[in-house]
Amino acid sequence: MIRIEGISKEFKEGIGSKRVKAVEDLTLEVHKGEVFGFLGPNGAGKSTTIKILINLIYPDNGTCSINGKDVRDRETRRHVGYLPENPFFYDYLTAEELLWFGGKASGMSSAAIKERTDQLLTKVNLQAARKRHLRTYSKGMVQRAGLALALVHDPEVAIFDEPMSGLDPIGRKMVGDLIMELKGQGKTVFFSSHILSDIERFCDRVGIIVGGKLRVVDRVDSLLSGGTTLEDIFLEEVEKAGGGATV
Amino acid sequence: MTPLWPVAVITFKEGIRNRAVYGISLFALMMMAVNLLISDMIMQEVGKVSVDIALSSISFLGLLLVLFVGINLLAKDLDKRTIYMVLARPISRGEYIIGKFLGMVLLIVVTMSILCMFAVASIFLVKMRYSGYFPRFSWPMIFLSISFTTLSLILLSALSFLFASFASTSFISLILTIAAYIIGHSMTDVKALVEASQSVGIQVAPFTVKLVQIAYYIFPNLSIFDIKTQAAHDLAIPMSYIFWAVSYGLVYTCIVITIASLIFRKREFP
Repeated sequence: MIRIEGISKEFKEGIGSKRVKAVEDLTLEVHKGEVFGFLGPNGAGKSTTIKILINLIYPDNGTCSINGKDVRDRETRRHVGYLPENPFFYDYLTAEELLWFGGKASGMSSAAIKERTDQLLTKVNLQAARKRHLRTYSKGMVQRAGLALALVHDPEVAIFDEPMSGLDPIGRKMVGDLIMELKGQGKTVFFSSHILSDIERFCDRVGIIVGGKLRVVDRVDSLLSGGTTLEDIFLEEVEKAGGGATV
Repeated sequence: MTPLWPVAVITFKEGIRNRAVYGISLFALMMMAVNLLISDMIMQEVGKVSVDIALSSISFLGLLLVLFVGINLLAKDLDKRTIYMVLARPISRGEYIIGKFLGMVLLIVVTMSILCMFAVASIFLVKMRYSGYFPRFSWPMIFLSISFTTLSLILLSALSFLFASFASTSFISLILTIAAYIIGHSMTDVKALVEASQSVGIQVAPFTVKLVQIAYYIFPNLSIFDIKTQAAHDLAIPMSYIFWAVSYGLVYTCIVITIASLIFRKREFP
């Protein structure tokens, strides 16, 4: 379970003292076994929230916990799989070595890593390229290698930042299938996106963030029950926030 | 398993497969050929010149390794955000720095061992051709000199990690590391110069003397690891000197890496 309580984060803009609020007093709970979509226009604060959850940045205020443990405790990440937006990996490592690293760093045995690597590389369709250096991979292949890395240690919670970005329709379907498979296994999935159809298809609940503030949190089916589309709701929220963001 | 080892392994693999390492090895091969050529051209002290060229070459190539491969290994992690894949694991920022540094140490030791083979081969070939010019020569001194160079490179690499822990770009880390290298090699001479001037009656501002003395104790004294001249002339080095130099190098490195990991603990990666 993911619990975010009143987090705020400001960044300095340029050399001057002007500060920009990336996230403002955000409170959110994602339940166990749930697929939660974090929707928002570019620069809304989705990635900042996710990076706070992974402890890559520290909030100015508020706390976050995953499975009851504060995210500042490194042990929390033993059960979390993270896919960054536009992931970059070491140029001269192979996909196999990348997964070895992910497994070892999460405390897996060599035999378990080998078995899981075979399984995952087949799933993300990188079996043939497993011994190639990552620098020779296309953008989509890097994204798929990143997904395999995020899942190598069979985490209870998967946090994906724009998992569909840079993928072709086949890749997008693969990611969708993976998310549904994780859901089937009772895992918690939290992913950000600004692609409305992805949220509609895969998520149980959705949170809409605009200008650093969480505007809506609700079940996808109840939001869509009145015949309105997610696009209408999203644009309305952006409008209310005074932003002219495009989807 | 401690999380340091996987970080060290991927750092080493990423470093050793870098094309710059191949370039350095190729350069070492060329230096070996140059050593043979120069030995053919000079008519005296062939042994000393040959040892000096071989040791200076690997010292220079080791420096290139730290400056252009080592600094990049950490800088790329920060610039390209490959650090995300490491910190998303149950690894603290401090462990990341230490693991990364261990990988770098492994890279320095392995590369220096390769360069050492080239140096030994070139000296051996020259010695075979001009054995009469090697009256005072000992292999242990050659290996000791290379080991000292390796230790100084490890210390310099630790400093580059310290600079990278707070510098915003890799270029700043590079400049600071080069500055630390130059200061580290010349501080003993500068201190001696400033202090000796006073003893012969030349006035040096007390502030300058104090500044040099403070800098002498803050900056690493890399010149103590430079025993190329002693190796070329087969001059004995007391065991106590070896002990103190090694202890100094290791303790200084540990302190620098500890400070780097403490600074890194505060760092964010937006």
